[in-house]
Amino acid sequence: MALLEIKKATISYGDREVVKDFNLTMEPGQICSIVGESGSGKTTVIRAVLGLLPGGGKVTKGDILFEGKSLLGKSKEEWRKLRGTEISMIFQDSGAMMNPTRKIGASYIEYIRTHEKDISKKDAWDKAVRMLERMRLPSGDNIMRSYPFQLSGGMRQRVGIAMGMTYEPKLLLADEPTSALDVTTQAQIIRQFMELRDDFGTNIIVVTHNLGVAAYMSDYLIVMKDGVIEDEGDRDHILHGSQNDYTRMLLDAVPSLGGVRYV
Amino acid sequence: MFDEKDMILEARHVTRRFPASGGRTLLACNDVNLKMYRGKTLGLVGESGCGKSTFMRFLVSLDRPSEGEIIYRGKDITKLKGEELRQNRQNIQMVFQDPSGSFNPKMKIRDIICEPLLNFGRIKASEKDKVAKEFLTMVDLPEDFADRYPHNMSGGQRQRVAIARAIALEPEIIVMDEATCALDVSVQKTIIELIVGLQKKKNITIGFIAHDLGLIQSFAHQIAVMYLGNIVEVLPAEDLEKKARHPYTKALMGAIFDLNMDFSKKIESIESEAPSPLDVPPGCPFQDRCEHCSPRCKEDHPMLVDLEEGHQVACHMYQ
Repeated sequence: MALLEIKKATISYGDREVVKDFNLTMEPGQICSIVGESGSGKTTVIRAVLGLLPGGGKVTKGDILFEGKSLLGKSKEEWRKLRGTEISMIFQDSGAMMNPTRKIGASYIEYIRTHEKDISKKDAWDKAVRMLERMRLPSGDNIMRSYPFQLSGGMRQRVGIAMGMTYEPKLLLADEPTSALDVTTQAQIIRQFMELRDDFGTNIIVVTHNLGVAAYMSDYLIVMKDGVIEDEGDRDHILHGSQNDYTRMLLDAVPSLGGVRYV
Repeated sequence: MFDEKDMILEARHVTRRFPASGGRTLLACNDVNLKMYRGKTLGLVGESGCGKSTFMRFLVSLDRPSEGEIIYRGKDITKLKGEELRQNRQNIQMVFQDPSGSFNPKMKIRDIICEPLLNFGRIKASEKDKVAKEFLTMVDLPEDFADRYPHNMSGGQRQRVAIARAIALEPEIIVMDEATCALDVSVQKTIIELIVGLQKKKNITIGFIAHDLGLIQSFAHQIAVMYLGNIVEVLPAEDLEKKARHPYTKALMGAIFDLNMDFSKKIESIESEAPSPLDVPPGCPFQDRCEHCSPRCKEDHPMLVDLEEGHQVACHMYQ
């Protein structure tokens, strides 16, 4: 059975259809990426998967199935059981999702205790520290005692990944997880994403505008333009086999060493 | 390639220290020596916090170094004051990373483009409309954009307006601080093409800050790699692939996700993060992350030495 199946989904804000007829079938163990320019609707798709469409957004046609069951029309309580434990999400800047006036530890413990009602604060703390250290953050205790602004962008992103992976979800959604980072940090974080699949068997959907990153990470790529799928296929197809003009244009735009020089 | 008589600006021993809490000092730039040439692009590359923006801000007189001098037209521009400083600003302009933050949201594009010209009395208020349209055409935007507000435009269009404003005064030097990093790759490409086209037409010198070596080598003439406030390598951009020597330059090159890379190999990248500029270790700044680190690197600070013309490296392996 496919882990995630999006069947001809149309997503609208009010009367405006932002994404039309989106199809995606994810088999267990896959990493898939959605690429496209800003405004192409790629973030809308993964937000719809997690039921996080902002005000007025709705899946108006089609269906989204997770392990064979529809995700549409779930109640708040059902979502609470699913989010974080089965499906979780990592944002572009994980620092922005944390309360800036509370220490990482306070946010993290609250997160754990929301999912496990009877865990003690001490156990939650230890669990969080273990998770942070698994994500290669040295001295998890120190991180727990810091405020988000005291950490660098790369460290904040690792905290975000640690939080998202606490309950080893089957599906991880990542929305431009490295766009705000330096190239060196980006390479570290991407490598870590790849290891999640080996260590936890996590399926990942990455949304990015960087085709280089997408091609490196994923088994399957979807190119979106103006809310519709413009092109899709495995890495080899997209990089070498595709005849689609838009895909070619995006590929040409990626700066590469020894590539086009304008001067 | 770089003729000394074409040198337009020279930074000599520029150092900047910021006071930090607890009586400590933050060393943002340490003895930076760089030269810029007429009509050429200098790409300054490094991770966040390495001091590249701090350095470029000296060129546009937004800040002053603690030590050192920046010679432009025979004068040290770090010491300018009053009217002389104001007049000098015409010659060196800046394009910022986020153009929406550098525009007044209540001004129309026409007024944004013409404000510098009016400030220096170059045009009359009645000429505003004509001049604005001229510059919009120059950056490939429709003329009727003159009536828009910044929020009615996409990021790429705003960045074009920022470039139009910067070239309005016909400066000799333009400093661009990560001018394309907030944009999509496809838009980034068109902006780079625009910048290169304008540079050729007007013979402008560009100082471009970036953290992506792949991008910078596509249009820069000269690349300077900065780490923890120190310039660790300077080389002509066309030699980057073959001749880069410093381990940090190589690490930055290894971290690029290239479409022609071998996808079965793991991406190479230096582990860990740069140490805080509050406590820069004695010796080589890169010692903690370098795989070639020797005992000498922990004691001696390597100086920039000439390997060949236009190529300098600060590493003990090459001294």
